[in-house]
Amino acid sequence: MDPVLSGVCGTFLVFILLSLGMPIAFSMMLAGFLGISFLTSVDAALPVLARTVYETSSHYPYTVIPLFVVMGGFAGSSGMTRQLYAAFDKWLRVLPGGLGIATIVACAGFAGVSGSSVATAAAMGTVAIPEMNRFHYSPKLSAGTVAAGGTLGFLIPPSIGFVVYGMLTEQSIGKLLIAGIVPGLLLALAYIIVIVSWVKINPEVAPSSPDPVSWRDKFAALLPVWEPLMIFLIVMGGIYFGFFTPTEAGGIGATMLFLVALSKRKLNWPVFKTSLLESVSISVMVLFLVAGANVFSTFLALSMIPIKVSTWVVSLEVSRYMILAIIILIYLFLGCFLDAISMMVLTMPVIFPVIINLGFEPVWFGVIAVLMMEAGLLTPPMGLNVFTVAGVAKDVPLESIYRGILPFLISIFVVVLFIILFPKSATFLPNMMLR
Amino acid sequence: MGRNGTIIFWIQRVNRSVCYAGMLLLVPLMLLTSADVIGRAALARPIPGIVELSSYMLDVFILLGLAYTQQVKGHVRVSMLTSRLPQRAQQSLEIVVTLLSLFIMVLLAWQGWVVGMEETAVSDMLRIPQRPFKLLVGVAAILLCLELVVDLVSAVTAGIRSA
Repeated sequence: MDPVLSGVCGTFLVFILLSLGMPIAFSMMLAGFLGISFLTSVDAALPVLARTVYETSSHYPYTVIPLFVVMGGFAGSSGMTRQLYAAFDKWLRVLPGGLGIATIVACAGFAGVSGSSVATAAAMGTVAIPEMNRFHYSPKLSAGTVAAGGTLGFLIPPSIGFVVYGMLTEQSIGKLLIAGIVPGLLLALAYIIVIVSWVKINPEVAPSSPDPVSWRDKFAALLPVWEPLMIFLIVMGGIYFGFFTPTEAGGIGATMLFLVALSKRKLNWPVFKTSLLESVSISVMVLFLVAGANVFSTFLALSMIPIKVSTWVVSLEVSRYMILAIIILIYLFLGCFLDAISMMVLTMPVIFPVIINLGFEPVWFGVIAVLMMEAGLLTPPMGLNVFTVAGVAKDVPLESIYRGILPFLISIFVVVLFIILFPKSATFLPNMMLR
Repeated sequence: MGRNGTIIFWIQRVNRSVCYAGMLLLVPLMLLTSADVIGRAALARPIPGIVELSSYMLDVFILLGLAYTQQVKGHVRVSMLTSRLPQRAQQSLEIVVTLLSLFIMVLLAWQGWVVGMEETAVSDMLRIPQRPFKLLVGVAAILLCLELVVDLVSAVTAGIRSA
């Protein structure tokens, strides 16, 4: 059989296996193993499995993943979520939909010290949703706000999304993380605009606002915001100025948050255990997806599909933006039933060479890809953040959460469009980096 | 709790304990990394071999958590399509999928052992042998296989009960 044809069969096999409900990492390992056996020999395919698993799980740059995840766990357990929300609530409550805006800003702040998006949504949901209920916000608005705000964790560094993209495409993880800052802030701004215009058009969704507070209280509430802000500045500043690598930044960030949680006496054994368990299970899940993808990419490379596809796409007589639009649509479709990391791991081996051959900038495309993964966290029927919020706001039906998310989802596409039209908005910061 | 129940209880308990043991390595990992950066910046004295040590710690951290992640169903899977099938079909699919996962993990356990025993290299600076860390791939895969057997038993039992 022709290698390309067997590559196509292998790809179908992965999709069949994963739609049967087999863990995605194992599906890719199995299909990759069978494919390599078919194209070379079983003897050549057997050691690939064990070698890839060892190389992935002992690859030094990947230590950043458990460290970034545990940062979020320590930050949450030291009470930063509550403090951030309390502070921004006091400043922003007078605006239309002020509690929603405070939620978005607090999510952005928490995203600055946390690597995982679902953790952000869960942590903020338990704080912000009861508060918005108390002031009779429409559940559509409040649940939509929290689910959307949670996605900021995926874009604003530290972010697992950029780490995985960097690993799969061999791009500088440091540059990618820095590139996420401006688009992350843009997206937060877009969410705020959504909330304000929603409340302006239909004031019933946010009927009342809490009374304004005195300036004294406002400034007093700002005090605890310094902790996460300082940690964010040290971690990202260190990467930006080349003082340390992203991995070392993860170590420093985790240590600082660990010490903060310890000093506040918030870190008892159950909380500590939960943070570590979360870190271990997310890291194992991500690294096994990467290991599975590496086994599968070995097979795909043997089948020559990535090269053939990218030369074919480049030979097409259409604008490269047309192809980019198709890729974005593919991500939108896949996002409906795959989670963010799986989507990245499944598509990058084929899509990344296409992007490079079309002459797009890899760091810039990383931002677009991560934004599309965020959209995938919100799209029905399998929006991961939506389920998380539904778990917190138990009385709100899933349909109204999805309806509440729609305007935020549209604003993600507006930001994607903005970054396509003005690529510099994503790339000027990383391009100014010293190394 | 019959004999099967006792065995399942112990498998899950062992895998949980193994995971707890491995996850504690995250603390030295984060502290050593910070100490290295501070030592390098303030005293011009980095920790020798920090990269090797960290890699080995990551290896143990990840591999010891492998079976537990399966226990809490932490390996992502798509349930959208199967959840709409009738219960009977879901149960049969679950058995098929678990058997397929078991197949690839048995291969990994076997090859982890083979590839590990062939390894004679040591790390660059500290001369730590790679072999035990490579053999750990086999150990982790065996523990994962046990966990998959537990899943298989419960899938089969559920199938028999509803029949």
